[in-house]
Amino acid sequence: MAGILKRLLSMFFRNLFKKKKHVKLGLYGPPNGGKTTLANKICKDWLGEEMGAVSNISHETREIQIKEEITIKSNSRELTFNLVDTPGIATKIDYEEFIKEGLKEKEAKTRAKEATKGVIDAIKWLDDMDAVIVVLDASKDPYTQVNITIIGNLEARDIPVLLIGNKIDLKKADIKKVQSAFPQYEVIGISAKYGNNLEDFYEYLFKITT
Amino acid sequence: MYDDGSNEILQGCNCGGKLFFYIKKSAIEKKEEIIKLSQKEKKQIEEDIYDIIGSQIDREKPIVLDIETIKILKPGKYEIDLVNLFKKQPLIYKLEEGKYVIDLIESFKKMSEK
Repeated sequence: MAGILKRLLSMFFRNLFKKKKHVKLGLYGPPNGGKTTLANKICKDWLGEEMGAVSNISHETREIQIKEEITIKSNSRELTFNLVDTPGIATKIDYEEFIKEGLKEKEAKTRAKEATKGVIDAIKWLDDMDAVIVVLDASKDPYTQVNITIIGNLEARDIPVLLIGNKIDLKKADIKKVQSAFPQYEVIGISAKYGNNLEDFYEYLFKITT
Repeated sequence: MYDDGSNEILQGCNCGGKLFFYIKKSAIEKKEEIIKLSQKEKKQIEEDIYDIIGSQIDREKPIVLDIETIKILKPGKYEIDLVNLFKKQPLIYKLEEGKYVIDLIESFKKMSEK
């Protein structure tokens, strides 16, 4: 009897600890891959509210955004995490690109400066993450210095990774190409914008975090 | 251009400037492209750097920016060396009463933990 009671008590405390643990889940990737669109989708699905603004002009997210205590449920399992949306990581930020996209010079220069700071901040935060969702645009070439550097560093730091090929709704999207670029990870193809294949995404989220 | 440990770097330039770019001797020998900047552009870059590296920096003390990690070609044009940034190479070297180095990324991290 005492043994059963001891086991029950131990289970109770273990579950209590599990509930208290706040898993930090980071969204990383190059600019315009759809990190914030995915963050918004997750928040909308489970909290009923969005996280941040999205735009066609790159480097829209230039500051770290955190949404705390998101609980997702699947097959009687629960996962609670803090979602950290990070600015897009790039090797070159040029205000002239923003001018081409319709911004005025002053605005474009400020955006470039903030985006550069955003890259530094995103990298600085990496060590705080328990798991990372890398969001790539599946319609673009995956073999870029940015993608290889991000994924290589996550591997070196032993941070669990969920690799997302986003924008599968686009004709040019090629999940197989993303998969062959990073064969060490299973790539989940989704459309964060239209909510396609998010069931698989949530399923894998449980896998990498539990 | 000033040599390592020169008075200007330790105490600031006569012109009032306290922000220096670190240029490797090998780069000078190779005569890599030198971009000419106007006084206005220099001032703007200086302001942008202070914005990027944070308000915690004491503007009264000389700072040497490690251009191996972040290159600012002109105001609004940046090149980021991701490999070194991920390796936590120091972004800037801050000189204070002599010479020593503060890893800004690490110190920021410590601040955010408090």
